[in-house]
Amino acid sequence: MTEQSGGPVETAPRPRTVTLAERFPIHRLTLLAVAVLVTFGVVTGSWKTIAQGGVTGAGWRLFLVFGIAQGSIYALIALGYSLVYGILLMINFAHGEVFMAGAFASYFVAQSLESKGLLDRDPIPSLALLFLTAILVSMLVAVLLERVAYRPLRNAPRLVPLITAIGASLFLQYTFSGFFGSDAKGYPSVKSLNGTFNILGFPVSRTQVLTILTAIVMMVGLRLFIARTKTGKAMRAVSEDKEIASLMGININQVVVTTFAIGGILAGVAGVLFALNFSEVDSFMGFVPGIKAFTAAVLGGIGSVTGAAIGGLILGVAESIGPVLLLTGIHVPATNQLRDVVAFTILVLVLVFRPGGILGTGEPEKA
Amino acid sequence: MIGSKLLRRAAIAGLIGGIAIIYLALVGMIEKFEARHLIGDWLNLGRLMLALPPLLAAYLATRPRVQAGRVVRLSRGPAITAGLVSGVLAGGLAALWVAFVHLFPDGAVRNIFVAVSPTLLSIMTFGKSLLVGALLLVVVGAVLGALGGAYQTLPERLRRPLSIGLATTFMFALLQRIIPQLLFYLNLDSTWLYSTTFGGLTPIGAVVVFVVATALPALWASRGQMVRQRVAQLPPARRRTLNVSRLLLLAVVLVLLPRLIGSTLSQVLGQIGIYLLMGLGLNIVVGYAGLLDLGYVAFFATGAYLTALFTGAHLVTSLGAVASPDFVLHLNFYAAVPLVILVAAFIGLLIGAPVLRLRGDYLAIVTLGFGEIARVLVASSWLQKFTGGPQGLRDITDAHIGSVGFRDPQPFYYLVLAFCALAIFVSVRLADSRVGRAWSAMREDELAAEAMGISTVRYKLLAFAMGAAVGCLSGTLFAVQIGSLTPDSFTIVVSITALAVVVLGGMGSIRGVVVGTMLLIGLPGLLDEFEEYRLLVYGAALITVMILRPQGLIPNVRRMRELQEEEVAQDQWLKEEAPAVTAAGGGGGS
Repeated sequence: MTEQSGGPVETAPRPRTVTLAERFPIHRLTLLAVAVLVTFGVVTGSWKTIAQGGVTGAGWRLFLVFGIAQGSIYALIALGYSLVYGILLMINFAHGEVFMAGAFASYFVAQSLESKGLLDRDPIPSLALLFLTAILVSMLVAVLLERVAYRPLRNAPRLVPLITAIGASLFLQYTFSGFFGSDAKGYPSVKSLNGTFNILGFPVSRTQVLTILTAIVMMVGLRLFIARTKTGKAMRAVSEDKEIASLMGININQVVVTTFAIGGILAGVAGVLFALNFSEVDSFMGFVPGIKAFTAAVLGGIGSVTGAAIGGLILGVAESIGPVLLLTGIHVPATNQLRDVVAFTILVLVLVFRPGGILGTGEPEKA
Repeated sequence: MIGSKLLRRAAIAGLIGGIAIIYLALVGMIEKFEARHLIGDWLNLGRLMLALPPLLAAYLATRPRVQAGRVVRLSRGPAITAGLVSGVLAGGLAALWVAFVHLFPDGAVRNIFVAVSPTLLSIMTFGKSLLVGALLLVVVGAVLGALGGAYQTLPERLRRPLSIGLATTFMFALLQRIIPQLLFYLNLDSTWLYSTTFGGLTPIGAVVVFVVATALPALWASRGQMVRQRVAQLPPARRRTLNVSRLLLLAVVLVLLPRLIGSTLSQVLGQIGIYLLMGLGLNIVVGYAGLLDLGYVAFFATGAYLTALFTGAHLVTSLGAVASPDFVLHLNFYAAVPLVILVAAFIGLLIGAPVLRLRGDYLAIVTLGFGEIARVLVASSWLQKFTGGPQGLRDITDAHIGSVGFRDPQPFYYLVLAFCALAIFVSVRLADSRVGRAWSAMREDELAAEAMGISTVRYKLLAFAMGAAVGCLSGTLFAVQIGSLTPDSFTIVVSITALAVVVLGGMGSIRGVVVGTMLLIGLPGLLDEFEEYRLLVYGAALITVMILRPQGLIPNVRRMRELQEEEVAQDQWLKEEAPAVTAAGGGGGS
């Protein structure tokens, strides 16, 4: 089946019958109209906002830094989507819950560390322990997810695993809220992470520095892993062509499990970072960041590590600056409420106009 | 006497069963469902949940296998032994877990796992001390496991009626709020059947239901063939009368239903109706056209808010004053509905047009994005002048016929019934029409359909518009039913519920959607303690159905073939060699 082969699917030139819809290509016209409208909106909105000067330079810098930190977290989650998509061509809709699981697990460790005073006394080993717990739990959840919900369906029609993924996402959310209670839990703050640096006039909190640095380290590590190790090579081979790869003696199942595990590790790290930044965890926290991270993955070009990083950063910044920049000028109240609208609009626009993403090929492969 | 392979299988099944018990305990279901009595005071839903895992584990571990193209059934001895092993392991694992929890000081585990209460532990140890309780768990597990294994070896002609009997008894026990009501209304005595103190069946009632429900299918098995043949031999005119009278009977029952079951349960019926409409609409998009729409809530919200604004409503400003929205018409409800449908269909087109060229999974995510955008917009301060923002709209004008309003559950039920009947009619006619055939062609192979001259653009748009038109009706009814709207009612959960209904029932199957709604909306409506676990169960159902029975409970035949195509191709060689396999593997499971 070409569908599973992963490579670009060759389509024969389609036989064309000239129908009404062909003569008046509705979708082309709509696309054009949407493009014009969006460009117009973005330009006038930003121009008006800047002309009015309601937001000071310091304000913009704050938004920018916040966006970059947020974007690094998105990028880490996005890599999970990207890797899995690259190999199985499926959207692991429950990846947001993998992220949530890590954050949740580290919460319990953080709480007990805090009650013993270790969190403030020995911040570095404590943080390491937090990350380690989150990584282990997220990895476990991701691998179990693959084994239980996806592996039996590896050869099913494409929408089938997507539906199970939605089911798994719901199942995990409510399992966690059943296990640990559905209320939001305050994540303990680490004293040594309080405080702000001033880097080139940009106010950056220590937590944000940690976030951005960790994300960079993880991504560089991942790139090296994929480029240099034997397993990384196997992953690349499988994403190129599953059948041929297995003929070359690569154990497909093992590679798939590894991929999910790596996605889990990154999501676990992202979970702790998210919890440190927002000081709260609950069992539904994974859903929206999950979709946004997916957006980031698509935006950057799904399947590419650099793409996920770029997509994450752009999305984070756009979401943080976008509502203010575009909407304040045209007198929309409470622009902050519309953050999610900006993110989802970006998702829709990218998928519609450039499904291959920034680093991708432009045209989506047709299945 | 028992092969090592079988032993391994039994052991794995048993361990999974044990994990299932621990899971159910941790998530709080066992304790919560303890309050729902099924039979007298000796079987309740919580205890059933404790008992099912070892039973099912043993049953599944000993199921017939296909080996080299032949179905191999276990004989009784090994099956019971294997079942015993599964049961002991399941019970043993649960017992170990209970002992493990006891190791910690009181309340330490509860600080993390909120469901681990002293009550739960007492349930798990049958109210005895730890040692006795743990032993009991193992023994009970062993007995249940052996039963499960033995059940598997019963001949088919016994097993089938028995299964039906058990399932019916269970359903009767679950419907404990409806059936006594019905009997009461019909002036029949129900105290022998349902216990007045516990609410569930009385032991005698349970036995009677079980015996009757077992005997009837057994009878049908011997006589049913003849009846079916005679129906088939009827002249077309007579058969038609038979069908019409069957429909009429159904209609009469449906019309009388709210009178029979009273006001509170009519409310549940109204809820079922709303989701049925949504399921039918989504079925057009997902089931017929094969486009996975995860943002269906957008149409539900559109229907609800438009109905409110077209028929008249108030909003509360941020200062707390009651005001009129900036745009409001005061149309008659029946004038507003067609208008709402038109606008919703147009919005369906708008959403559909840009995403037409996207592949299936991307389309799903984009529609999900649309759904979220709809929710955030409705709740935003920006549109507060129209939608009331987070506080929403209230005082929505009721629909009337003469002086009869529809807000009360019973009249509302009739409104819902009318709308559902209309939607079912439309769905049935669409499926058999040229349009329906075009959709199924497109769903099966878009390229081939296009090559055959089907304009996929047009038919996809049509699917979106039709789906939106039917789906918005559910929103309309929702607005009428509760009279006030808040954005909280329009979350992604609604889309996923509708999806679960369609998937569980069977994509593309109208009967399936009806059954799916009954199960997923009706049952939680009847059993309050389900409410908390509703979405957990939906999630589990989506996974299980897709893995074990992707065609749904009541499949649409054509759709079923598509979903199993891959599998059939894999099993082809078996069929050629041994025709017996097809008969046994007909369910199409793993």
